[in-house]
Amino acid sequence: MTQTLTPTEHVILNMGPQHPSTHGVLRLELELEGEVIVGCRPIIGYLHRGIEKMAEARTYPQILPYTDRLDYLSAASNNFAYAQAVEKLLGIEVPPRAQHLRVILLELNRIASHLIFVSTFANDLAATTVFLYGIREREMIMDLFEMWAGARLTQSWIRIGGVGQDIPEGFEDQALQFCRLLPQRLDEYDRLLTGNRIFRARTEGVGILPPELGLDYGASGPTLRGSGVPFDIRRAEPYDAYPSLDFQIATHPTCDCMGRYLVRVEEMRQSVRILQQCLRQLPEGEVIAKLPRSLRPPAGEAYGRVESPRGEFGCYVVSDGSPQPARVHFRAPSFFHLGLLPRLLQGWKIGDVVAILGSIDIVLGEVDR
Amino acid sequence: MLADLQAHFPDAIEAAAEVGRELRLRVSAASLLDIALFSKEKGFSYPADITAVDAGPALHVIYRLVNLDTGQHLVITVPAPRTGGRVPTLSRLFPGAEWPEREVYDLFGLRFDGHPDLRRILLTDDWQGHPLLKT
Repeated sequence: MTQTLTPTEHVILNMGPQHPSTHGVLRLELELEGEVIVGCRPIIGYLHRGIEKMAEARTYPQILPYTDRLDYLSAASNNFAYAQAVEKLLGIEVPPRAQHLRVILLELNRIASHLIFVSTFANDLAATTVFLYGIREREMIMDLFEMWAGARLTQSWIRIGGVGQDIPEGFEDQALQFCRLLPQRLDEYDRLLTGNRIFRARTEGVGILPPELGLDYGASGPTLRGSGVPFDIRRAEPYDAYPSLDFQIATHPTCDCMGRYLVRVEEMRQSVRILQQCLRQLPEGEVIAKLPRSLRPPAGEAYGRVESPRGEFGCYVVSDGSPQPARVHFRAPSFFHLGLLPRLLQGWKIGDVVAILGSIDIVLGEVDR
Repeated sequence: MLADLQAHFPDAIEAAAEVGRELRLRVSAASLLDIALFSKEKGFSYPADITAVDAGPALHVIYRLVNLDTGQHLVITVPAPRTGGRVPTLSRLFPGAEWPEREVYDLFGLRFDGHPDLRRILLTDDWQGHPLLKT
């Protein structure tokens, strides 16, 4: 008996742009051989608003609220990178109290963003309860932002030279209470999720990122630290109050989805430590530097750099001496991580896509800009 | 690092300045690949950013390579003509350069020689023109 071989074809599967686990509008064109991924083409730009172009027609202070809309889960880090670049151009010193207040904003935002990560990552892997818990804890941070800045998500509260206003009465107590509560809740997540057999089976040893590959692709943040590289801008190029604070850089050597998850959970515990130190040793003084009414930085260029919850968020500003910048560019960590995704998915099964995509924790607002 | 670069590439470096952590260089498109390769071997192995600026008479492509051991930034500026400009791709040295180079092509119209997949990235494929060019 003779057997005839039928030629097989790769199947192209579209995932998105409205898929619930793409967290925004992202389309992945997956090329499959059976259920194995042999190729992936991410299609982005659905959320492109031309923020870099708009910035060229705005004055320096006017640009700040646009930056909140980049990584909308961590508005404070976007504000900071932009403000830092402009402060470098102007050569301004930020008052010590403002430096501490900015760190409080940044770290609260980091916890809020990581809580969304844990919630949605668990939800994507069918652990729905954790989603509800994570959102419950995040609500406490949103309340703190609302109390202080009046806004919950897009606060625009880190300004050029400092912060919008001083913290209101009662803020310190409420923030310290949150700092006491969160570690207990994180222990609860560990019991609920980290040790869960299904969760572990779907994340351990899945989506391996060798550290050299991560660096070649410009990966940073928890994505890179989950592969054991202790690169954190808060340590590598410390800004504001970070040099005086005691905290550890969380890393994990396993290079898999679980490693990236564990790094973010540990980072929340470290952020609590930072917050407690900042709140207890808050110096007295001004909350914003004295600035001229019209900002006209001398011609030149500067790069602001912040450790956002997703990695290196950078802002490159070129001044020509006029009240509007000649060029503003945002270096978004998610943009680089999404560029790495096709390589990361190679050879894994279709069922792993959601776990691997979730583990690099992208925000499409900063990818598309 | 600057002395090292000047010794190895005596003719390639058109301008150089040290500003804080940054070592700023201006080099021609022809010598970009050699300098990037040399710098990568010297520890500038993290491609932090690639972007461009419309600087009036010419476009400037800006590469930022960071040495994670010393914290130094190498900021390389490569001038290119505003229309029909071509610069070699760094994507073989740093695969992570592929996407930011696509972005520069999309928004400024600058082409990268040897790029494996030079398509628009943020705008739709049928978009006319390159929006970050100044009129």
